[in-house]
Amino acid sequence: MAKRIAVDPITRIEGHLRIEAKLEGGKIVDAWSSSTAFRGVETILKGRDPRDAHHFTQRFCGVCTTVHSMASIRAVEDALKIEIPDNARLLRNLIMGIQNVQDHVIHFYHLHALDWVDITSALQADPKKTAQLAQSISDWPNSSVKHFEAVKARVAKFATSSSGLGPFQNAYWGHKAYKLPPEANLMAVAHYLEALEWQKEVIKIHAVLGSKNPHPQTFLVGGMSTPIHPDSQNAINADKIAYLMKLFKQAREFVEKVYIPDVLAVAPFYLDWAGIGGGVGNFLSYGDFPESGGNDVGSYYFPRGVIMGKDLANLMEMDEAKITEYVTNSWYNYAQGDDKGLHPYKGETKHNYTGPKPPYEWLDTNQKYSWVKSPRYMDQPMEVGPLARILVAYVGGNKEVKAAVDFVLKTLNAPASALFSTLGRTAARAVDCLVLAQRNETWLQQLADNMGRGIYEVHNKEKWDPSTWPKEAQGYGTHEAPRGALGHWIRIEDQKIANYQAVVPSTWNAGPRDAMGQKGPYESALIGTPIADPNKPVEILRTIHSFDPCLACAVH
Amino acid sequence: MNVDQKSTQVSIPEEILQKWEAKGVSRRDFIKFCTATTAALALPLSFVPKVAQALEDKRPPVIWVEYQSCSGDSEAFLRANQPTAGDIILETISLEYSDVVMAASGHLAEEAKHNAMKKYAGKYVLIVEGSIPRGAGGGYCTIGGKSAVDDCKELVKNAAATICVGTCAAFGGLPAAAPNPTDAVSVMDLVPGAPIVNLPGCPVNATNLTATIVHFLTFGKLPAVDRLGRPKFAYGKRIHDNCERRSHFDAGQYAEAFGDAGHSQGWCLYKLGCKGPETFHNCPTCRYNEGVSWPVMAGHGCIGCSEPGFWDTMSPFYRRLPNVPGFGVEDTADQIGLGLAAATAVAFGAHGVVNIGRSYFGKNDSDADQE
Amino acid sequence: MHELRYVWEWPVRLTHWFNAISIVVLSVTGYYIGDPFVSVPATSQYVMGWMRFIHFLFAYIFMLSVLSRLIWAFLGNEFASWRVFFPWATSKGRQYIVGTFLFYTFVKAKPPGVVGHNALAAMAYVGVIGLYVVQIVTGFALYGQYAPGGGWDSSLGWLLPIFGNQGLRLTHHVVMWLLIGFSIHHVYSAWLMEVKEKNGTLASIFGGYKFIDPKELQ
Ligand code: HEM
Ligand code: HEM
Ligand code: NFV
Ligand code: SF4
Ligand code: SF4
Ligand code: F3S
Ligand SMILES: [Mg+2]
Repeated sequence: MAKRIAVDPITRIEGHLRIEAKLEGGKIVDAWSSSTAFRGVETILKGRDPRDAHHFTQRFCGVCTTVHSMASIRAVEDALKIEIPDNARLLRNLIMGIQNVQDHVIHFYHLHALDWVDITSALQADPKKTAQLAQSISDWPNSSVKHFEAVKARVAKFATSSSGLGPFQNAYWGHKAYKLPPEANLMAVAHYLEALEWQKEVIKIHAVLGSKNPHPQTFLVGGMSTPIHPDSQNAINADKIAYLMKLFKQAREFVEKVYIPDVLAVAPFYLDWAGIGGGVGNFLSYGDFPESGGNDVGSYYFPRGVIMGKDLANLMEMDEAKITEYVTNSWYNYAQGDDKGLHPYKGETKHNYTGPKPPYEWLDTNQKYSWVKSPRYMDQPMEVGPLARILVAYVGGNKEVKAAVDFVLKTLNAPASALFSTLGRTAARAVDCLVLAQRNETWLQQLADNMGRGIYEVHNKEKWDPSTWPKEAQGYGTHEAPRGALGHWIRIEDQKIANYQAVVPSTWNAGPRDAMGQKGPYESALIGTPIADPNKPVEILRTIHSFDPCLACAVH
Repeated sequence: MNVDQKSTQVSIPEEILQKWEAKGVSRRDFIKFCTATTAALALPLSFVPKVAQALEDKRPPVIWVEYQSCSGDSEAFLRANQPTAGDIILETISLEYSDVVMAASGHLAEEAKHNAMKKYAGKYVLIVEGSIPRGAGGGYCTIGGKSAVDDCKELVKNAAATICVGTCAAFGGLPAAAPNPTDAVSVMDLVPGAPIVNLPGCPVNATNLTATIVHFLTFGKLPAVDRLGRPKFAYGKRIHDNCERRSHFDAGQYAEAFGDAGHSQGWCLYKLGCKGPETFHNCPTCRYNEGVSWPVMAGHGCIGCSEPGFWDTMSPFYRRLPNVPGFGVEDTADQIGLGLAAATAVAFGAHGVVNIGRSYFGKNDSDADQE
Repeated sequence: MHELRYVWEWPVRLTHWFNAISIVVLSVTGYYIGDPFVSVPATSQYVMGWMRFIHFLFAYIFMLSVLSRLIWAFLGNEFASWRVFFPWATSKGRQYIVGTFLFYTFVKAKPPGVVGHNALAAMAYVGVIGLYVVQIVTGFALYGQYAPGGGWDSSLGWLLPIFGNQGLRLTHHVVMWLLIGFSIHHVYSAWLMEVKEKNGTLASIFGGYKFIDPKELQ
């Protein structure tokens, strides 16, 4: 007997995501991914000053804040052929680098962990045993018995107070899919709280370099507006470099000593998830983090590339011209019909809601059923994100990535094929976080070296004045955001934005079916997922969360 | 100041201090937080014990909903310090619903929200993030199949008070920027007359949010607001009037280009389009991320992110004044004005020449008369 | 035969020159406020500070002067009266309008003879006085922002949510150019009247007297 369920809202993500699934024999046999919110920022951008666009696009999302500023600015720079100074490259790498690191940690502890960790079980834990467990996996200083006692007492006080469980009420606690022993659960809860403290500290890097977080403000077409001068209080000087170094170290240490050990400690309890949640098996990474030149693709720390059909032996070159977006099942119309894919330069955003009138119980998934478009590469659905980035880097020759992946696989005693799964996606995110946390300090050192050599330039103002621009121009900018391959395409006419199209990581992953009926990556990944209790489908959360959904990004 | 601090130290009840110490918050930090919050609320220091007490006593139910948002304000809340987001969630409030934080999903999440609304009707604090789209019969934003419009109206009507975090919830923000494709509105436009406090900013400054919550806990009511519903303690002054670069403004020292000498020496960003003179917000005094920085301090002008309609009225962001309606983007008010003045001069110059010409060449009979 | 007639009483002349000087000063300082074209290297300067101070000082002078002239429109002689500013309200006035228009467009050689303002000028002055009021209102609304809750903010602050701070600033800025445009036209017209009418128009705004040929008055 087939049964249909809907999970709406999917929480602990950014934005409004609804999953509908058809169950048969305790497994998902079909699934539909839908975003239920639309803002229309691409439409809002038309006619505006291209130099302003990054302020608008940054507000696509306050979780992966910064990433849409990056992509936007790169798109304008590409259109106008603007080279940026080396300091701007480094400032951007640092801002993007810490964004990835902090975002991944928040995702793991605050958005994903509660799918694996039963906090109510933590109350049964013995703090002594917890301390033993914690000390056995890492030399992190906060692993004393006293520390875990205090955490347990704090959580117990909270859980037993008359106000109730607050944000932790009504969850799937006690579900038999939760497999961790109480000690591991208590350790995870302690780290949940520590990560909460840590994330607000290390992201002060964005405040120093970008004024604030979320939504740092110092990006500029042509460079950055963060001045660098050793003799000024109002610029990045030696004092600020030292402060930044301290924060970057703090970021790295937590990743090395808490995040990675936790992933490796929890994973063995959930090894069955190395065989669940595989998805489309096609991977796209634009690559990022230029090591030289303004934005020299050849120098990217994470290389650019495409993998089709899980074939790691064949890393293909990425060709931007092969990208299209479909709206066959999305609430938009294309002038030439909704069954054709459009390249983003020709992209259209004509919204037209044809879904059920709210309040509704079910979407009509035979019709249009989402605000997310369906991006395709060579007409194929692609998974993007840390897994894609890490796979491409793994076969593309990034030594640190290769070492880290091999280490994780060896520790878990798993084959490379285990990466194509919910667990693999989660592990890849940790690897991504680790290598970036370690790389950041090198870029900061390079910035300090530049300053030492008297190189202070942060902005190329040659083409700042719109009167220097051609009458028409177009360009695109890419970035490897925390959630994966991000691209913005812009057409500029008469110094104004004539068309703006963003194809975002979560657009790739969360999109609905295309004109050929091919499912998007979320939808594919859910097929075959076992559901023990249709009223408590924690398994759906595990796989969907492993993509780290961001629907404000996806739809914009 | 020293004396004051001593006296407040004495007046915070010992058992409160001990309770916080047991939670791992040092006396010093706790007193510092209470004092800072009291100051942020522009209350006399004698209120410090009251603030401390308020943090201790109640854990009022709070429902945090997101509509057309980017979650930037939720993230800002996670960056709160003293009390931190963890302290607030575990000890200060009872967070009954929050998309980003809560464990429950799907109908169980919606059930938690619904239960809290019924159980604490008239007592809970509602926090709204994001604007509400009225278009497409509610189809531009639904949660659990319900439209944001219906959800928001119901929640606001049953709340003791509503705090709108971020410019989207307070004034419509980004979704409402021209041409407002979804007919997005602020909460106060959706539910006129409801008890609302607006905390605009893109995103909201977490310190202003915690101060507002603490104010509510301390006095049982929302702080005094201005004509746009913004608390006076946070939005009572322009950025420009508290800006650390103001002396450079008055002196006439302006950064002329990003990265030039004036820019690296911290000169005023007015000529690079800073909207500090038109923006009411406490960024310069409060700053962000535990007081580390704020836009002007970091080197970029204010874009006026807490003002109503700022996406349209404050842009282009790198110019001081908006474009003159009806003219091209490249025409500044000055270019147009100068053009107008020049055209007048030329026109009247020509008129004068014709007149003189007529007088000289005698085409004008009445002139001849007079001769 | 021309005769000397007393046209502009002293309050008209005085406010005229207070206004004219204020507008010059306010435009120069205002332009600097809008676009501080001189950046000064040494911190000991106070250029913008002075510009703004002078702007605000003359803002008050200007406001008082405009107010005085408005009051005088109800107290002064027939040439100063508020009635002359609405020539389209009477049939005679309408004739004047047409006559003056024909003169300006070179159809007629001479403007209709009048003692006070010519009809078109009077209409332009209504517009200009309107611009004065706009400048004063937007100016003081902007000014009031430094002290929310203060007198200016309480009386004019309601404009901010309606037009926006930037809307007021842009209006204030654009109106400056309109006033400059008017001034160019106005001084030219005064000169034109002077040479055409030979009635001492220019001098009249200093001394108050015009030479009038009663025969030319219709
Ligand atoms: C004919 C009269 C006036 C002219 C031509 C004039 C012109 C200007 C101009 C061009 C600006 C710069 C606007 C910008 O680009 O932002 C300005 C600013 C300003 N004006 Fe006026 N103005 C006049 C009268 C007044 C009056 C009566 C007031 C009343 C107080 C006033 C108060 C201000 C204020 C407060 C500013 C903004 C100053 C600042 O932000 O530092 N103005 N004026
Ligand atoms: C060299 C400078 C100026 C000269 C020679 C001048 C001359 C005159 C004369 C002759 C009149 C009387 C015109 C008539 O018979 O209708 C007059 C009136 C007037 N002028 Fe000017 N003017 C000067 C500058 C200005 C400026 C800068 C402004 C303002 C932008 C201005 C505004 C006015 C107004 C509003 C009136 C009507 C006066 C009233 O009824 O109170 N003038 N001016
Ligand atoms: N998807 C997505 Fe983002 C990311 N990372 C954007 O590009 O989250 Ni808001
Ligand atoms: S106000 Fe800004 S930060 Fe808040 S939801 Fe809107 S766009 Fe995001
Ligand atoms: S930087 Fe901006 S806010 Fe600061 S003084 Fe200059 S104009 Fe004012
Ligand atoms: S841009 Fe926003 S953060 Fe403050 S300085 Fe301006 S109001
Ligand atoms: Mg798009």
